Amino acid sequence: MILGDIGAGALLAGLVLAAFATLLSFWAGRQENAVMVQVGRRAFYAAAAMVLLASVVLEAALLTHDFSLAYVVEHSDLSTPMPLIAAGFYGGQEGSLLYWTLVLGLLGSASLVASASLGTRLAAYAAGVMAAIVTFFLFVLVLVASPFGVLPITPADGLGLNPVLRDSGMLIHPPVVLAGFASFAVPFSFAAAALLANRVDAAWIAHTRRFALLAWSFQTTGLVLGMWWAYHVLGWGGYWGWDPVENVALMPWLATTAYLHSAQVQERRGRLRAWNFGLVILAFLLVVFGTFIVRSGVVPSVHTFAVSAIGPWFLGFLAACLLFSGALLAWRAGGLRSTGQPAATVSREGAFALQNLLLIGVVAVVFWGTILPLVSGMLGQERVVDASYYERAAGPLLAALLALMAAGPLLPWRRAGAPWLRALAWPAGAAVVTLVGLLLFGVTSIPALLALPLAVAAAVTCLVEYGRAIRKWRIGLFLKRRRRYGAYLAHIGLVVVAVGVAASHFWQQEADVTLQPGQHVSVFGASLTYADAEQRQLGDHSELVAVMRFGDTTLEPSRATYAGLGGQSLTHVAITTTPLADVYVILVGSNPDGSASFRILINPLVSWIWAGGGLLLLGVAFGNLGARRAETVTAVTRPAVVPSWR
Amino acid sequence: MLVVAACVGYLIYSASGGSSEYYLTVSELRAHPAYDQDVRVAGVVQTDIMYAPRGTVEFTEKDSTASILVVYKVDVSGPLPDIFKPGITVVAEGRLGVDGIFHARTILAKCPSRFSTSPYTQ
Repeated sequence: MILGDIGAGALLAGLVLAAFATLLSFWAGRQENAVMVQVGRRAFYAAAAMVLLASVVLEAALLTHDFSLAYVVEHSDLSTPMPLIAAGFYGGQEGSLLYWTLVLGLLGSASLVASASLGTRLAAYAAGVMAAIVTFFLFVLVLVASPFGVLPITPADGLGLNPVLRDSGMLIHPPVVLAGFASFAVPFSFAAAALLANRVDAAWIAHTRRFALLAWSFQTTGLVLGMWWAYHVLGWGGYWGWDPVENVALMPWLATTAYLHSAQVQERRGRLRAWNFGLVILAFLLVVFGTFIVRSGVVPSVHTFAVSAIGPWFLGFLAACLLFSGALLAWRAGGLRSTGQPAATVSREGAFALQNLLLIGVVAVVFWGTILPLVSGMLGQERVVDASYYERAAGPLLAALLALMAAGPLLPWRRAGAPWLRALAWPAGAAVVTLVGLLLFGVTSIPALLALPLAVAAAVTCLVEYGRAIRKWRIGLFLKRRRRYGAYLAHIGLVVVAVGVAASHFWQQEADVTLQPGQHVSVFGASLTYADAEQRQLGDHSELVAVMRFGDTTLEPSRATYAGLGGQSLTHVAITTTPLADVYVILVGSNPDGSASFRILINPLVSWIWAGGGLLLLGVAFGNLGARRAETVTAVTRPAVVPSWR
Repeated sequence: MLVVAACVGYLIYSASGGSSEYYLTVSELRAHPAYDQDVRVAGVVQTDIMYAPRGTVEFTEKDSTASILVVYKVDVSGPLPDIFKPGITVVAEGRLGVDGIFHARTILAKCPSRFSTSPYTQ
């Protein structure tokens, strides 16, 4: 009871502080009153501190089983293991909004601490925009979806976390992906502030880019972890099912990927300025749109989130953000014209521009597929698309992106000539060799014959670039130009992901078998022996476990039954990874005669997806951690149009 | 830029024409029977689930006004979702036969998801 009061009080105090910070920051920024700007910033820090206090209180209530709180009752019970009870913090609607606000408060504070050098007005407006966003979230948390609602009678036990969520994936995926979602607000705030303050120069790029990279890294990690989790859980459509919930996490990632590339054109050549603002703003709008879509239940999804009263509020927030950003861009568009001289179409700039268009094209494809049920439902009969739509519409664009990854990094800035064509010989040769190899192996699928050679070419391009530096015995170059070489590593990581996705997509095999204990089966080269089935009693559930031998490995696909939850059952798949493929075993059921039925899948190269995701993040980390000093070395090549901001 | 935009537009148009399906409630399907066309039908599973031999499951899907008999072949299309039982909402994807029976290719259960807590109490 007392915890509920403290938490609710902290949220209310946070709301007041955030609203105060919003008004004061905008006013003080306009007046360029440095003292008041400082006060506004501190009010933001104080609001963030209140959100932190509320979060600690909610976590304490969960861990101490304070069943006077409705949220604790709904998301935990006495039998749930401790780590999962702690995860209940972000496991429900209200708690996840609080977690989101917490991340925004903390990251926002960090970004504001570092913002003083950007000038009084810009820093003040950034604080104002960020405080406005926090105000909205706190408003929803206080008035619409409070995690501190108190029950009239305190029950003896809670309802418990959904069995599907009683999984290690619950401990890692949601916090990362929610943090990613929350952090897109930081680059957005600085972009909006730069437009408001009419500081449409490169000054904000370094600052914004850092936080865009952070959001992008969170989102990349969140997406890969989500794919890994969905792959391990039956019924979520494999590692990627083009479900609206997945789509809305992918779209801001795509937009920010585009921004991270096009920002280089602005840094180096002073071009694409309006476009860059647009991308940062688009990423944030897609986040808000996605939150509205998945939290309001307006489109059908496998992952139906609890439909709650927050839908209309988020729709209103989305409309406000759209109007604000649209008006801002239109107002400042005149001052955003490119300053550098135009470049030839076949140049590094041209490659970045094309890459951006292709990525935004993929966003458009995914967006249309996601909102089609909504749009068609309004116009008449509701229609939905399945995975084949995304494959047919986005597939060619993704193939073109792979081709661009092979050709783009070899292109010089401004204009490409004969040396570029010579450099292209390596990736082109590798693509042809791969194509011939695939044909010799009897591959006839056109998409596979397109995707894999292009992926190999993209990887070879990166290796050629590394080779150049090594041949010149200039290993120091790797450190000096770390952003460049880190990016190549990230490209290789993405290619590894692409190969894993392509292989598991084109060559997945499946078989249904019914086996007696001791019986042996060979599925596409994997030989499996069904040993026996046994019943096990665990803390909160009992399991029927089928023991299966695969070489020296023991696979234990099982079916769990949660007696405390009305006998709800849950199938646990067993997966073992070999260098070339995953063996994925599902226990379909056991029969009275002692036999058991299995569905066995052979998923080629799925482990490459996880490895590639790791490489991608490693490359980005190598290229950007502590690289600020080193990067100024390349400033020599910058044209004189980059304005100074000191 | 226009070329890329046109390509994207064409891809979206051609792909959504070929791969989109109607998403109907049972009564909508009953009111406008669309035979030999892939559709998705959402409804609540009734208590008359029959596990026929040779891996076939038959059950009735119902919404507020209409109901339909659904046939699903477990041995061809894979096991039913874990939470499949009377009272839950499922989305059956498949075709309505001229016999008036819905032949489902996939059965999607409305997953008790990350943010909803206790679908079994609802």
